[in-house]
Amino acid sequence: MSGGNWLAGNGGVYVVGIGLHPYQFPSDTPYTQLGLTAVRAALADAGLAWKQVQAAYVGTTSIGMAAGRVMLRHLGSTGLAVTQVENASASGSFAFRQACMEVAHGISDVVLAMGVDKHGDGRRAANKDGLERLSDTATIPAVKFALMARSYLREHGGGMESMAKVAVKNHGNAALNPYAQFRKPRTLEQVLASPRVAGDLTVQQCCPRGEGAAAVLLVSGQALARLGLDPARCVRVHASAASSERDETRYGEGPIDLVRDSARAALEQAGIGATELDLLELHDAFSVEELLYSEAVGVCQPGEGAAYLERGDSRIGGRCAINASGGLIGMGHPLGPTGIGQVAEIVRQIRGEAEGRQHPAARWGMAHMIGLGSVAIAHVLGGTARC
Amino acid sequence: MTPDLTTLQPLRPTLYRLAADGRSLDFLFAQCPQCRQLSFPANAPGCMHCGHAIDASAQVARPGGGTLLEYVTLHVAMVPGLSAPSIAGDIRIAEQVVEEGVIGVADESLLAPGMALRAIAVPLPSGEHYGCHFVPAGAQGATA
Repeated sequence: MSGGNWLAGNGGVYVVGIGLHPYQFPSDTPYTQLGLTAVRAALADAGLAWKQVQAAYVGTTSIGMAAGRVMLRHLGSTGLAVTQVENASASGSFAFRQACMEVAHGISDVVLAMGVDKHGDGRRAANKDGLERLSDTATIPAVKFALMARSYLREHGGGMESMAKVAVKNHGNAALNPYAQFRKPRTLEQVLASPRVAGDLTVQQCCPRGEGAAAVLLVSGQALARLGLDPARCVRVHASAASSERDETRYGEGPIDLVRDSARAALEQAGIGATELDLLELHDAFSVEELLYSEAVGVCQPGEGAAYLERGDSRIGGRCAINASGGLIGMGHPLGPTGIGQVAEIVRQIRGEAEGRQHPAARWGMAHMIGLGSVAIAHVLGGTARC
Repeated sequence: MTPDLTTLQPLRPTLYRLAADGRSLDFLFAQCPQCRQLSFPANAPGCMHCGHAIDASAQVARPGGGTLLEYVTLHVAMVPGLSAPSIAGDIRIAEQVVEEGVIGVADESLLAPGMALRAIAVPLPSGEHYGCHFVPAGAQGATA
């Protein structure tokens, strides 16, 4: 642990409880039911009571104002501080970061970070900025990433199979995850034969629309013993780094630079190198992203993303299990919960509790998200309070 | 028969207008009074390069077009009014200004990265407006 790391404050920040409501296709289930299922599971996992939670940060994009308070009152009106966080796909990740800050700065010792979402109408601030665009497709992520995919394949000489294999791996991982929206393994032939959406991206290479919830409980290192928590199940947060888009001078490099910069900052804060990561959960809303971002994070060399996947280095049991949860493509991407779900997966893996999809000897993990291609956030978790 | 485009209104009046030839489009940029670079669209509240405040006095018109950087076919109708298949591309319309646009060619085989494109007006089904398509420079019209 580096001496200047703000996450060392208050004895350090630990994830002590995790809980999820399975990600699923849009349904009539109220968001309160989704969210409370996840929070109750996290409380039970930690062995804490709701009245012990001092603050809550709720990541959501599409439910509406004050969803957190409307939902959490059903656990008891304890008077805790509730803050709603919205930052597109990274909403849950930023809720987690706020919770880390609250614990590390000694404001609270027990904080809930959660994400909950229903599939919304897709209204975006980018469509309300008073500026017209040459094409109505300009704010559609599938088009942007299809263009990036074409450039990637053009530059690296790979065929469509190279990025389709991302979907094969992640659908396979998701099939082993009881919280995943998709539970069927897919063959390369199935992925390639599924209907094309844009460019070389087929539908099975794109994340689904859906809903769900994920929750984690954070506790300060100072409070672990007082609360009687099992140190072997308390996973430490070593880094939290966030950034937003810089002026793009090289065409197509903006999102990649964004991932590279935020990942590098997080790794420096944690005091480890990228190749020390055992687990990496990243934003694979579209298959090509995993190839691009595995290079940008640094688990493999620039241009090696496809080869890294091909060699099996990114599978469970490989050098660094990328998207062991199934990722956004397989586990799903309900937006608000996604970043919290990544953290929950890493905690589960580091504890050694990822039954059926356990990555051996998992110690270090990074959860990385981007939001609408313009904000990025990375968290590094590693070891338990017993280490 | 191609309708008289001069009788139609631009669908995106803050972005382009009909050029003197009655078919091509001029794009409306803002030239920053501070760094002198072009921003798009012209009514953005700040220079996209240096952040300096810009207003209507900074607006300049330039022939619409640019360099094709990348392109893909859209296999599903992603937005109302855009049929499938269609082609979308990233076009560098000025130095350090890249915009996504609709490419008005029948298929991708007619395109290559780095090729010059020009922006033309295409009449829309409403009969009241024209939109913007990019076609290879020198091409006479659009197919979509």
